Amino acid sequence: MSALSEHLRELMAQSLHAWRLTGSVRGTGDGAVLVCCQEHNIRIEPAPSDSPFRWIVVFDNRSRAAISLVAVLRMVRAALDPGYTAMRARIAPFPLVPT
Amino acid sequence: MIEALVLTGFLGSGKTTLLGHLLRQPAFSRTAVIINEFGEIGLDHDLVEVSEESIIELQTGCLCCKIRNDLATTLHEMLRRRDEGSITPFTRVVIETSGLADPAPILQTLMTDLTIAGRIVLAGVVTTVDAVNGADTLDREEISVKQTAVADRLVLTKTDLAGPTQPSFIERLRALNATASVLAVQWGQIDPASLFDGRLYDPFTRSLDVQSWLSTKAVSHAHAGQRHAVNTYAIMRTDPIRAVALTLFLETLSEHCGADLLRLKGIVNILESPDRPAVIHGVQHVFHPPSWLARWPSDDRRSRMVFITRGIPRGWVEALLDALDAEVAAVSANRS
Repeated sequence: MSALSEHLRELMAQSLHAWRLTGSVRGTGDGAVLVCCQEHNIRIEPAPSDSPFRWIVVFDNRSRAAISLVAVLRMVRAALDPGYTAMRARIAPFPLVPT
Repeated sequence: MIEALVLTGFLGSGKTTLLGHLLRQPAFSRTAVIINEFGEIGLDHDLVEVSEESIIELQTGCLCCKIRNDLATTLHEMLRRRDEGSITPFTRVVIETSGLADPAPILQTLMTDLTIAGRIVLAGVVTTVDAVNGADTLDREEISVKQTAVADRLVLTKTDLAGPTQPSFIERLRALNATASVLAVQWGQIDPASLFDGRLYDPFTRSLDVQSWLSTKAVSHAHAGQRHAVNTYAIMRTDPIRAVALTLFLETLSEHCGADLLRLKGIVNILESPDRPAVIHGVQHVFHPPSWLARWPSDDRRSRMVFITRGIPRGWVEALLDALDAEVAAVSANRS
């Protein structure tokens, strides 16, 4: 399992706890992460290297591409926590380096 | 830059008494005051004896919900009149909230409203806590918990009535807010300098002085067993954090945590800016644009972020930061 997939596994495990959901998260032999919760199985795997996306999220026999872990997190939460409504971010423009 | 001090605290906790005392001090002679009363008949402005022209009362509702826009409009109008010379050129604004107000939206207004941004800066939040009834109020009133949690200074009032303050009550306050200092007063009499010493607002960085926040020893408290659990913790990182990762981190916190992120302050070692750390400050889902220190304030160059939350697990915050930074690092490595 790659270091990044290990980070993903830990993030998913902590996310279930944060969302007060009971389930399990484990890594698979092929580098994917499997989230089992509420009778759902969500598989998160690295996207092919020639893809513009970074992750593929497989849920209810549908595959969705995600451009980042932020998107993965959003997809997983939307799948497992139907009452969740994302807060519309209101972050002021962020100067990435001092100006 | 004009400093704005938010004075909050539950009903009857001694805000107006404290304000009255402050405004009689020479150090507060050039202070404008906005008093928000919740009720049909306002009394507080009559109880504060200062020149009428510098007091504005917002009486149409609770500052945090009904007339939040009025606050920005009022501040803008005050600045205009100040510029015209029609009122005293005040150098400080004290905003006294109603006892039922959630202070977070007020802080957000000060941080984000374009009509006042750049001229008025949040200098700190002072919360009065009644030494007699404070414990019961914390039990019953969620808003009191929140007022306590977001404070930079906790002023323990009515200590003359309560007798010796119970250590357990102080411990409870510290559990709710490990970063705020607790000041005990009688009859509202307090040294004004004690509210500003420690430089909540740093005029050089034009930001809240996170050093005063971060000076608290490894804060990690949970107010367990309460209906509305508030937990405080600090996260530190030795390795620099990539700027993009920090942006994603703040956006994700905002998106997923929203109102449960009561306050966040931090000093961050940005990989792309090794000599100038970023200072971040957020209230709920609103983050102030980061400011940049001219240099590190000490030899300690670790990133340090202090969280006051309502039930957001520390483990999730740490896992999120680590995962995002690792992903950004991987993307950067692939591109180079």
